[in-house]
Amino acid sequence: MSARRSFLSHWRNWLGLLLVAGFVFVAFAAPLLSPQDPENPGTTKIVGRFTDIRPHPPSPEAPLGTLPGQLSVYHTLVWGTRSALSFGLAVAVGTAIIGTLIGATSAYFGGWFNDLMMRITDAFLAFPAIAGVVLIQQMLTIWLFNAGAYYSMGGVGGVFYITSSGTIMTPEDLPFWLVWLQQLNPVMIAFVLFSWMPYARMMNTVVLRLKQVDYIHAARALGSGHGRIIFRHLIPNAIAPVLVLAARDVGGMVLLQATFTFIGLGGDSPWGALLSGGRNWVIGPGGSVLTYWWIFLPATLALVLFGTAWNLIGDGLNEVLNPRTR
Amino acid sequence: MPPLLRYLIRRLVSIPLTLLIVTAVLYGVVMMTPAETRATLYMPRNTGPRMTEEQYQAMLERMIEKYHLNDPYPVQYYYWLGNLLQGNWGYSPTLQQDVLTGILQRTPATYELTLYSILVFIPLGLVSGVISASRQHGLSDRSFRLAAFVATSLPPFILAMILIATFYINLHWFGLGRTSTAFGQVVSSEGFKTYTGLLTLDGLLNKRPDISLDALRHLVMPVFTLAIAHWATLGRVTRATMIEELQKDYVIAARAHGIPGKKIIWRHTLRNAFTPALTSSLLSAAALLTGVYVVEIIFNINGISALAVGSMAFVPDAPAAMGFAIYSVLAVLVLMAVLDLIQALLDPRLREENLR
Repeated sequence: MSARRSFLSHWRNWLGLLLVAGFVFVAFAAPLLSPQDPENPGTTKIVGRFTDIRPHPPSPEAPLGTLPGQLSVYHTLVWGTRSALSFGLAVAVGTAIIGTLIGATSAYFGGWFNDLMMRITDAFLAFPAIAGVVLIQQMLTIWLFNAGAYYSMGGVGGVFYITSSGTIMTPEDLPFWLVWLQQLNPVMIAFVLFSWMPYARMMNTVVLRLKQVDYIHAARALGSGHGRIIFRHLIPNAIAPVLVLAARDVGGMVLLQATFTFIGLGGDSPWGALLSGGRNWVIGPGGSVLTYWWIFLPATLALVLFGTAWNLIGDGLNEVLNPRTR
Repeated sequence: MPPLLRYLIRRLVSIPLTLLIVTAVLYGVVMMTPAETRATLYMPRNTGPRMTEEQYQAMLERMIEKYHLNDPYPVQYYYWLGNLLQGNWGYSPTLQQDVLTGILQRTPATYELTLYSILVFIPLGLVSGVISASRQHGLSDRSFRLAAFVATSLPPFILAMILIATFYINLHWFGLGRTSTAFGQVVSSEGFKTYTGLLTLDGLLNKRPDISLDALRHLVMPVFTLAIAHWATLGRVTRATMIEELQKDYVIAARAHGIPGKKIIWRHTLRNAFTPALTSSLLSAAALLTGVYVVEIIFNINGISALAVGSMAFVPDAPAAMGFAIYSVLAVLVLMAVLDLIQALLDPRLREENLR
């Protein structure tokens, strides 16, 4: 109770909560704010001629202007919120759960098992996420290649493949698991695989200390099983730093996803795609950044505010839950 | 044996051990592909486009035979690891180069960028964290916290875009790539000797300070982009540990003895706060390397990241992807060992007792 009251007594935490609430609202209201094109649904919407490569200023059809190719900035911004929120939450919650479980169980059982698990954690810690993305992407390409698809193209009519003999293949010609795998986001998999380690290490240190405490011995003596001790006693008492890190990670992971999309390594971040799609038009005639402001300003603001919101919440939680490091 | 040396040796021994785990997992992943794909990991150089389809198939068969690619996993892993250790990392069709040659050729660019970023962000992060902590809730503390907050919320590529728009396109102060075109020709010519691979140093050693200056000018934007995010994180951790440290009894005792506040902070407290602060950098070494690659791609620096970009061409290129992963892990491990060593130099407790 007191923790909650002190969390709500800072204006910065209110700002964070308000921003997150705003993003959640936009994410849920996306179909109302910017209806999708029934012909060609998705996070992009073409208003006008696709062949027109000049960005156009705001108009009634595209309230925030268009990118080259007449993609509505507003539409992608609105639908990108939904994508960012689900991506960030999925990755943060996924990594937090995996890391917590690994850290807590290995510390609880201790001994050689703990040594082995921490050795594996350290090995993962040395693996940069970008290498994971590249590897997963390559595996997909190789599997596709071995299934006969030489080159994959995504277009208005969906994805199709060109075989080595030059004929066209549709997804129906591929094994079902390969089609299913392609639906997954390699960047998301790589992020989950390569960011659980800090959680595991944090959990590990806390649980190693906690399991010597009397009430754990008491619980053991009363006949509680390992699972019950880990889930009912150890994890709840060591969860505070995990929550702080997870809150910050929601924003951090989305920013990283947008970065990967921007440099062309996949990730399917609509906000990142907005920025990479308009990167050649950032500077208008005469070196002015104001001429085509709608190209970069909305997406930049969305990303920065998203990162800020979750950082504020993380900092607020940190102050409340770990008061010493204020 | 002096404790520091023993610590260093134990630390270095753990590198091959971790590499063994990582490569075993990586090869396990590759086992999920057909033997023909695994054969491409052994392709020698210049098997390129001139081969006919039959010749290529025959070569694949030979490779499968020679490296036991239809045998169980441990056998294959053994042969592959041996090959790797002998420097045969395969041929990359996207780079049109031997993978190891391609990596070694591009290492200096990546190394230079990483080195300068570390040299910028570690001292700055420590100093600003300490100053901020020693004047908690003061003006410099508030402004540091605000700056660090902005820095952590701003994605590096947006900062890079702003920098490029301002200083490259509008003001023409700094350039993209490693050098200007004219100097690039000088660097790749016969007369320019490579000593360290770092252009900023090699320029001086070749008595061409103008080249060093040019290389430095090209480093400003990428180093700034990279350093800013890590400076903020390091500064915040330093601040938090310093505040905790400043409340301890020995600080009060030192104050009571009349030791000046500045001396307490910089001589006594900071040394104790070093370890957690550097540990945070140590844990984010992999993130630093990812950042280096991202910055390389944005600022058009032909570093190791070229192997990653090639993999997005949707051409099967297992050797490049594997080489990229292994080399990146090796780089992170070396980075971690260096930071560990700095820690051990500064904190004798670490080298005398195995705390981990």
